[in-house]
Amino acid sequence: MSMQVRDLIKAVRGCKTQQKIREVITRESALIRNSFRKEDKINRPRNIYKLIYIHMLGFPSEFGQLECLKLIASPSYIGKRIGYLGLSILVKENQEVLFMSTNIIRNDLSSEDRYIVGLALAALGNIGSSEMLRDLAPEIEKLMESESSYLKKKATLVAIRTIRLVPESVDRFIGKVRTLIGEKNHGVVLTGLQLVLSIVKTEPETIVKFRKLVPGLVRMLKSLINSGYSSEYDFRGTADPFLQYNILRLLRYLGEGSKKSSKLMADILTQVGTSGGITKNVEIAILYEAVLTILSIESDSKLRVTAINTLSRFLSGRHNNSKYVALNTLLKAVNTEPKSLKRHRKVIVECLKDQDISIRRRALDLVFGIMDKQNVESLTQELLDCLPKAENEFRYDITAKICTAIEKFPPNDKWQIDTLIKVLTIGGQYIRDDVSSMMTSVIGRNPDLQYYTSKKLFNILLNDRYRNQTFLQVSSWVIGEYGDILMQKSEKDGELITTTQALDLFQILLESSRTTDGTKYYILTALIKFSTRIEGHDELIKKIIKPYREHVNVELQQRACEFFLLFDYSEIRDPILDRMPVFVEKEIELEIEEEISENNNKGMNYNLQENTHTIQNQINNIQNIQNIPNVQNTQNTEMNELLMLNTDTKKTQTQNKQDSLNFLKEIFNGSSSSNTNNMNNMNNNMNNNMNNNMNNNMNNNGGQDLGLDLGLGLGLGLGLGMNNQSQRQNQNKMQMQKQQNQNQTINQNKNQNQNQRQVQNQSQNKSQNQNQNQNQSKVQNQPIIVYEKNGMKIEMNFKVGNIRGAPAVMSIIKTTNSSPLLISNYLLQVAVPKTLKAQLSQPSGQNIPPNGNGSINQQLQIIKMVNQKTQLAILLRINYVINGQKIVENKEVSNIPIIF
Amino acid sequence: MIYFLLLANKQGKIRLSKWYQNFTKKQKTKLQKEVVSLCLSRSQRSCNFIEWNDYKIIYRRYASLYFMICCDTEDNELIGLEIIHHFVEILDKYFGSVCELDIIFNFQKAYNVLDEVIIDGKLQDSSKKSILRSVGTQDFLILNAPETGTLNL
Repeated sequence: MSMQVRDLIKAVRGCKTQQKIREVITRESALIRNSFRKEDKINRPRNIYKLIYIHMLGFPSEFGQLECLKLIASPSYIGKRIGYLGLSILVKENQEVLFMSTNIIRNDLSSEDRYIVGLALAALGNIGSSEMLRDLAPEIEKLMESESSYLKKKATLVAIRTIRLVPESVDRFIGKVRTLIGEKNHGVVLTGLQLVLSIVKTEPETIVKFRKLVPGLVRMLKSLINSGYSSEYDFRGTADPFLQYNILRLLRYLGEGSKKSSKLMADILTQVGTSGGITKNVEIAILYEAVLTILSIESDSKLRVTAINTLSRFLSGRHNNSKYVALNTLLKAVNTEPKSLKRHRKVIVECLKDQDISIRRRALDLVFGIMDKQNVESLTQELLDCLPKAENEFRYDITAKICTAIEKFPPNDKWQIDTLIKVLTIGGQYIRDDVSSMMTSVIGRNPDLQYYTSKKLFNILLNDRYRNQTFLQVSSWVIGEYGDILMQKSEKDGELITTTQALDLFQILLESSRTTDGTKYYILTALIKFSTRIEGHDELIKKIIKPYREHVNVELQQRACEFFLLFDYSEIRDPILDRMPVFVEKEIELEIEEEISENNNKGMNYNLQENTHTIQNQINNIQNIQNIPNVQNTQNTEMNELLMLNTDTKKTQTQNKQDSLNFLKEIFNGSSSSNTNNMNNMNNNMNNNMNNNMNNNMNNNGGQDLGLDLGLGLGLGLGLGMNNQSQRQNQNKMQMQKQQNQNQTINQNKNQNQNQRQVQNQSQNKSQNQNQNQNQSKVQNQPIIVYEKNGMKIEMNFKVGNIRGAPAVMSIIKTTNSSPLLISNYLLQVAVPKTLKAQLSQPSGQNIPPNGNGSINQQLQIIKMVNQKTQLAILLRINYVINGQKIVENKEVSNIPIIF
Repeated sequence: MIYFLLLANKQGKIRLSKWYQNFTKKQKTKLQKEVVSLCLSRSQRSCNFIEWNDYKIIYRRYASLYFMICCDTEDNELIGLEIIHHFVEILDKYFGSVCELDIIFNFQKAYNVLDEVIIDGKLQDSSKKSILRSVGTQDFLILNAPETGTLNL
């Protein structure tokens, strides 16, 4: 005799270890199996109960499935009840047992006893498979018309499952809706409304038909709200919130896209949306649903403002749950209702201080969402204020948002710098890497700020030198770069900043164990820059750098050695360490973005904007698609090959035995006898490389790369030129400065071979070039149709400018489709001559809708790699699918009126 | 729509689980574990919603028991809480101030009540009275059935 269910539960609860439980269950399972084998009818119900319990504990229970079938096949209600419960818990969908149960269920569905029918319906609704539901659909349909509302509501829910699993059966149930909704019984109406919702979601075309229900629904909602207390449907003062919720939800689907229906429901929505308190969860739930409906349908602006105000009321309430839903909804409304949202700035900001992280996160997103040029200052300040109190993980989010805000809506450069410094000091260790480059670019283009920033950073450093590493890196870069300005101006201002003070500070930082090696790179670079900015401190700087020539970190060692050696070549030291050129990259990107957004009024702007920031596809030629790092590598190897050629010619003694210096040594000493042409080529090449290195710095903005690549790239490029002829030194020096103005560089390179007429020609050529550029840009703004076939048209417009100091052509490629067919899988590839480098951004989409209803925009940048005049020619490969046909075509674009 | 409903105690022991979506046994065990540990680890001050994979977990604690439902992300979270509360109130009336032990020893009854409240993840009736009435009638049927005496559950 096996034990009772109750005893089994007690036995399990009495077990102290999992092992013991397992023992009990194994023993019991064996007994149950045995009993099943013996066809023990009396104990069958009890065994099934036990198995359900065993199943809940996570032990195997599958062997009881067939027994459940036997139970539901028994005539008694009690057997069926236990059997169906076992079936719904022990049996999974898509099992044979389920299939076998279909006939029994069919019988039960036509039973006289409505509770047996109810059991069968519940089982069908909870576990019915698509086959079963398809088979039994006629029965379900019949039961939906049953006289008993108990069965009606159950059958309706089964119908919903049928629609979900067998969507084609939807037509069968559409006709039932009207009577169900017209019922008095709330349960039936409730399930009826859910049925309409599921039909509408499965077959959106039916919405038009169901719009006829709107007046009835509005009446129903009205009577619910205005009805007095009814004990049956009262939920802490709210009349049947579930019914209200479903009506509101359905109104939302019916009102979307229909001004007429939306108008019909406007009054009642105003009533629901404005009345009612916000203290109880039920009340808030209904208000919230009403707000969602108002925001989704075609409401007038007044109603929308009411909705936003209601959400703002939630925010100032004390329920976290309502804050959460309000913030979520406001986030969605940020794009459609920016104005009314901004009015609730205060409450939103208040949510930044909530104890619940999910609320804070959403509040942060929202604060960022409502940010614009007018409120950026105060909102950023709020974000800065909550930075120190936030947990580490959240700090990353906050700093990221602040940085984006600084980049996106700066009211002025000074504010930008101030805020950047604030973020750096408070949350520098939680900051994304490119903040340093943002900072340097702002300072670079704004000479007025150079002194201000360096002084400010210097003073912070003096007072508290153990700030975070990012801060140390940025400040040492700035102080090194603008050291001369800092010293000169502070003297005038009577500030007590001296060079020795700065050098001492650097030394302390270098020696501190809290400074990471990555930061030390920056400090070393700053030191060497100082030697050129301010005269008379070479010995001291040498003394500081000296020990690092034997530092255990190879990177640091190499820098120290290179820098130390630079003192012996004071003629080249200056140009190498010359002021960084102004970054122009950002403005160009912005310009292009603006143009794109003008061309594009469908909200693609955001998309494209992101694309310009992501790694852009570089397509050098059609077969060979490379991304930026690869390109960089190939160039580096080219450079190395060139270097090898020259270094073979002559070798001289070296003073330093450090291995890491070999590279530099060879360059310095290598090529005194090589011919001028070769040298010029090399110089060109080097310059390009230098540009590239610098571009890389600005692009990647990796904190550590900044200093390193500069040192090496500049050093190498110049070193070559220097040793050849002393005259060239001057040229190279000048060449360095000309980074800022590529027109000048072009001229300089021309002049290099002639060594004369420099100054006169320079100005002449410059003005000529400028004129040319102006003329060209006038011509090129006209778009050229480069491809037209199958209704697809590709237009390009060209614009000459420069990107990161190199002459470049920027182009926007616009593809439209005037054919009646959809163009899909659109892919454009671009190839340019080897002397140019092309960068193609991600397209704004892959598919172009027919009849000119949309376009794909892509941005192409062509950068000139070699200093010679080039006729711009582009080879396009166009891939797309139209009418199921895959088309690949090559097209050469040679009629571009650009020589650059 | 509710994809599944779980009832667990503070220690994470499952007291009731009902699945309205097709999951394999392995998936069920995994989901159950994840959801329960997620809900148990929440601080009391946090809101009662968790965005989880493509779903939303709505949970509420009643004494030592956690009621959790897994819904569509677009569902009204506050109504979700109301559905939980609706179910709890019905259990409370049915058992007469329900506690964990009631559900442990009478899990089959709890399942029966649930089947009267929710089918296929959707609410069946908003009237507690009508639900309790039908559960009561069915219990009465069982009590008076001739074979009940021999069953000895």
